Amino acid sequence: MSANLRVLPSPGDLTRLLACVVARELKDGEIVAFGLHAELMLAAALLAQKLHAPGLAIRHGLRVESGAEIGPAAWTEARESRAHELVEYLEPHDAILDVAGTASPMRFCDVFFIGGLQIDREGSTNLIGIKGKDGRMKVRGPGSIGTTSIATLARHVMLFSTDHTTRRFVETVDYVSVPGWKRRAAVGLTGGPSLCVTPLAVFDFEDGAMRLRSVHAHATVEEVCRRTGFTLALADEVPVTPPPSAAERAALSVVDPFGRLDRLAIAVDGGPA
Amino acid sequence: MSGPRPERVIDLLEAAALVRDGSTVGLSGFSYQNPPMALVREILRRRVTKLTIVSGPTSGIETDLLIGAGAVRRVITAGVAFERVAGIAPAFRRAAERGEIDVWECDESIWHLALKAAAWDMPYLLWRGGVGSSLPELNRDLREVEEKGKRYLRIPPVRPDVVFVHAAEADVYGNVRMPREAYLGRCFSERALALACRGPVVASVERIVSNDEVRRDPARTILRGALVVEAPWGAHPGGTSGRYLPDLEHYRDYAAAGEARLKGAPAAYQRYLERHVYGLEKHGDYLRTIGAAHLETLRLNAAMS
Repeated sequence: MSANLRVLPSPGDLTRLLACVVARELKDGEIVAFGLHAELMLAAALLAQKLHAPGLAIRHGLRVESGAEIGPAAWTEARESRAHELVEYLEPHDAILDVAGTASPMRFCDVFFIGGLQIDREGSTNLIGIKGKDGRMKVRGPGSIGTTSIATLARHVMLFSTDHTTRRFVETVDYVSVPGWKRRAAVGLTGGPSLCVTPLAVFDFEDGAMRLRSVHAHATVEEVCRRTGFTLALADEVPVTPPPSAAERAALSVVDPFGRLDRLAIAVDGGPA
Repeated sequence: MSGPRPERVIDLLEAAALVRDGSTVGLSGFSYQNPPMALVREILRRRVTKLTIVSGPTSGIETDLLIGAGAVRRVITAGVAFERVAGIAPAFRRAAERGEIDVWECDESIWHLALKAAAWDMPYLLWRGGVGSSLPELNRDLREVEEKGKRYLRIPPVRPDVVFVHAAEADVYGNVRMPREAYLGRCFSERALALACRGPVVASVERIVSNDEVRRDPARTILRGALVVEAPWGAHPGGTSGRYLPDLEHYRDYAAAGEARLKGAPAAYQRYLERHVYGLEKHGDYLRTIGAAHLETLRLNAAMS
């Protein structure tokens, strides 16, 4: 199909697809954590709870919630929020330090989601800044916020980007907020990120390098490769990302009664190339 | 013979006078929530300079405004951003790119550990997070070391000279408390900063409540021994957990002024400083500038307060 004839999904259809992709990765009994304004991850976690992981614990900010729907997520917008009625447990912020005790039932999390100004081939991320041609920091980023330590110590890290461009997906990040597979191995840390989800495709990692696992129905392998700033490992046959099943669709409508997933900022076509 | 229990109430001017040129100032808050803005504006009116700001763990407008006004030399924080309004806070970005401030590069966990090292009087703490990242290259205070075959970062203590927080309520004896329905967690960085502080801890609060009321629900008390300043709407344009929402319209205006200045057009940012800080005498003038009717639109439903 030629690029100019293809039909792009609505932002809501795309975010629902991505919520399904992430939900399928979450396992019963795990603790999943994410920061503020993470409706997509919250939707994925609630979806997994409904479909296959009733014992999944959701740590939303510093609250452990018994989830129902994503309506109350946006505290900063909702005047009549009843979010507090879902909360089972509240912690002070330094609970983020309790991520390394992987056996405790009170551990901070097993699964953590991170993004970056840049993401590279081995899954390292950068929120610190972008270098100019002279090798000095040209664009100051926000800072590593909560990503570095939690993503280094959590059992399971997934990467996420709301666009897909060669500016985002680079050969090597300019600064490392969170080390990926090879940088981890070099300092004696095992593992690395397991998955990367973008508006165009889903990636996993093979031998410490990002591999195209599936492309969404509205994208092509060629397009994904062109919009990625490094050579991707490709399977012989790259499948289309499985669309939401009937059960997933039904559960999503319960999880997102107010259509919040329709209003998220996401670059359906991957963003400016 | 013992006198009555001493009260710990001061006013905004007395609180701001605790900051001197070169002070290390701890500021609590998280993202849009609970920044001690009335105190920050009062500090700016004293025209102090060369501050080290310990804010966060991830900071917002309290830090960005101090940087934008030229009061800051160094910032110890895991990030400065306004969530969806601005992915990178504009004055922070401008000052960092121009080399006007030093950024003590860290993440939220390392930020907490530096305060714990201070609170526990430890020369350093060892931590696995940050190993393999750029943090030790960019922040010389973080040294990578090996211990029993594993690599760690050495996190040194960070000790504020004075700490400012904003909260919903306190009594006159300095018991500071969160509302029943907290926005995000039990508290943000109030305890971490207060425990690391080598000087006074000041809490501006929406209202002063009775000690009887505090004793009815002690689990809500997050700090004790603070100096207390009554400053209604004292977090504006930030929100106060359980009391009112952040004023995102104000944040957008501020961010636009900051971003224009980043691109070489400083007039709007200067106007912001004049209109909201330097052209005013006190917090009450600020509230009149914003307008009571506008503030009321931010108030949370009664069920939550």
